[in-house]
Amino acid sequence: MEVFISKKDGVTTVTFEGRLDTPASAEVSEKLAPVAEDASGTIILDCKKLEYISSSGLRIFLTLRKAAASQGGKVIVRSICQDIRTVFMMTGFLNLFQIED
Amino acid sequence: MKFRDVIDKVFVRQSARAGLMLVIVAAVTLEATSLIQYIFSQKGIREEATRRAESQLEATKLKILNIVDQTETAIHNSVWLAQWALAVPDSLVAVSRRIVETNPIIVGSTVALVPGYDKKHPLYSPYCFRSPGEEKIRVSSLATEEYDYTSQEWFAKPLELGKGYWSEPYIDVGGGDILMTTYSVPVLDAKGRQAAVLTADISLDWLTELVGNVKVYPEAFSMMISRSGQIMVCPAESLVMRATVQQAAENLGDTAAFGDLNRSMLAGQSGSQIIRYRKTTTHVFFAPVEKTGWSMSVMIPDSEIYGSIRRVGRLVVLLQLLGILMLVFILRSFIINQIRYNDLNDRKKVMENELHIARDIQMAMIPKIFPPFPERSDLDMTAEIVPAKEVGGDLYDFYIRDEKLIFCIGDVSGKGIPASLVMAVTRSMFRTISNHENSPAKIVTLMNDAMADVNENSMFVTFFVGILDLNTGQIRYCNAGHNSPVMLTDSKWPLPVEANLPLGVLSGFKYKEQEITIGDDDAIFLYTDGLTEAENSSHELFGESRMYEVLGTRRRSEEHMEAIKAAVREFVGKAPQSDDLTMLFIHYFRRVHLTLENDIKEVAKIAGLMEQIGSERNLDPGLVSSLNLALEEAASNVIMYAYPKDTAGALEIDAFMRKDSLEFVLTDGGKPFDPTAAPEADVTLGVEERGIGGLGIFLVRNIMDSVTYSRADGKNILKLIKKV
Repeated sequence: MEVFISKKDGVTTVTFEGRLDTPASAEVSEKLAPVAEDASGTIILDCKKLEYISSSGLRIFLTLRKAAASQGGKVIVRSICQDIRTVFMMTGFLNLFQIED
Repeated sequence: MKFRDVIDKVFVRQSARAGLMLVIVAAVTLEATSLIQYIFSQKGIREEATRRAESQLEATKLKILNIVDQTETAIHNSVWLAQWALAVPDSLVAVSRRIVETNPIIVGSTVALVPGYDKKHPLYSPYCFRSPGEEKIRVSSLATEEYDYTSQEWFAKPLELGKGYWSEPYIDVGGGDILMTTYSVPVLDAKGRQAAVLTADISLDWLTELVGNVKVYPEAFSMMISRSGQIMVCPAESLVMRATVQQAAENLGDTAAFGDLNRSMLAGQSGSQIIRYRKTTTHVFFAPVEKTGWSMSVMIPDSEIYGSIRRVGRLVVLLQLLGILMLVFILRSFIINQIRYNDLNDRKKVMENELHIARDIQMAMIPKIFPPFPERSDLDMTAEIVPAKEVGGDLYDFYIRDEKLIFCIGDVSGKGIPASLVMAVTRSMFRTISNHENSPAKIVTLMNDAMADVNENSMFVTFFVGILDLNTGQIRYCNAGHNSPVMLTDSKWPLPVEANLPLGVLSGFKYKEQEITIGDDDAIFLYTDGLTEAENSSHELFGESRMYEVLGTRRRSEEHMEAIKAAVREFVGKAPQSDDLTMLFIHYFRRVHLTLENDIKEVAKIAGLMEQIGSERNLDPGLVSSLNLALEEAASNVIMYAYPKDTAGALEIDAFMRKDSLEFVLTDGGKPFDPTAAPEADVTLGVEERGIGGLGIFLVRNIMDSVTYSRADGKNILKLIKKV
């Protein structure tokens, strides 16, 4: 699991590559802690290369979403694959996030 | 003891008593009847004997009297001649001569003058006689000094009595030892004085013959005694004229027995008397011969009279005894049979009981608790033996060793206890040998060698051994002459089997092994010919086609078994079960296994498992991903909540592939933890209200069709099923 964080023009882009399963979520959660702390801007979660997400991964997304909501920022989930979209649908995350292709 | 047994015992005792009573009554009745018959017969026979004796006596007496009368008549007719001749005594000889001449029965005659009647002849007695065998009549004189006829009985008595007199019989010494008697009458002269005695001698030879021939019965004999008791005729010739009855009795040493008889006879009475001497009983019938004063008797031994009736009586008693003996014998054997029957009943009960025990022991040898491996989801098995008799020769067995199901089915030739013993031996041999052999052919070969070497009773066993690798679905098998098992895959077909000999037939036979791989949710059905050869009352066989018909769509093994049993029951109806019926049904689900350590990192391994299943089952990647997610969530839950942090532990994941579903079983040895009881996330809430937890179990529930938790043997078991 790889996570890349880039910041450009006040927009933080988090690129996920691989499988965000439970073990990976622990690492990713740590890495994204600074992003959550500064969530007043726009956060783009690039999921183009995200193959899989577990509930702990979803919790990371939700944590970011909650942080953004409290700080006045916004979270955009970009390019989720069908499998993950299904999970999002199941869990009601489609309604919580702004989804972009 | 049961009530019936008591009844039986009582019945036996009562029938024994009744039998004894019957014998006694029969015996008494028979004996009483015979006795009465015997008494009446004896009376009749006695009367008959009396009648016969009396008529013989009478007939004999009449014959004697006839001669006596002839003699008397001859003499009386000559008296006037003698009277007339008195005047010329010399002519008296002519009178005698004439008497002898004209009467053949008279052998001698005299006219003896009373002494002094004639001056010229003080003693005068010319005697005319005929010697035996001679025609010529001789004359001699009895008036001799030495003879002195005046003192003779024949002379003195008639004069004394003044009438005719029969002398005592005597032996005529001069005339050749002939038994004689003399009849004499007094002759009066014209003046009425006693002048002479006219006599006639008659021989009693005929009497001896006559009386001696009186044979009322073959062993009977007759006697004649004179008025003085002299024995005149008697079978014992030495006694004749030499003894009186009294003397003879004295000689026999038994006067008492003859005393009364002697008196009665001498008194001229007639009648009968029973005398006993020297242990013999003799009936004596006697009658007097008037005029002569003799008494005649017929002696009939008791045995002679009653001999035949006693013989018959003995025969009757013997026959009756035989009959009663037979009756006793029959009753005895009847009662013994009754006792034996009861005994047999008791023994039969004991045997039945033992057969039950034998059956229990036999049944204890084979696995009979179903499901046999409740902890395993890759096997669904049912097996059953329905023995035809109390114990049977069919067997099956199975067990799991090293993730391999080792199973067998067999049918011992014959039925009952012998077959069951062989069955027990076969089964333990199977267990022993298969425990360290992994090749079915090797197992069968070793079993066959062991059995064929000691097979003295020519019993054989058709046998099928299979080893199912539970990880791969590969079955290696060896068939020793058993029915080909039925494969239930997408279709129904008989498993191809080599034509191997049954066990115990030929030592050293090389058994060939075969192999087949079955897929997920495939089944194999093994059976003995008790199924296909189940007979109905019309002697039709259940047959393979019916079996194939019943074996059908995929069902749980128990349902299959019940369906077959019901079909057989319906087909057979009330006909008795002709053979053992044994069935073994193995339904296999391939299982993929994964073990996770108590470390959250381990859940990453689930992806590999799912990839394998996905590609094997050719599943949609999206589904694979969902299932992966659900499994991961479930596994994470266990790792995070069931095991305390940093404690060692394992989570076992088994994936079972059924035809229309996938089943995942997660088993862990951690503390009781039911993820299904955890609160679920509310996915309808907005961002602010949304809690951070509960998503995992929510996902599991949403992805899977069935989520069930159970705890058994200190383990948490979570079962997830997804229809595919």
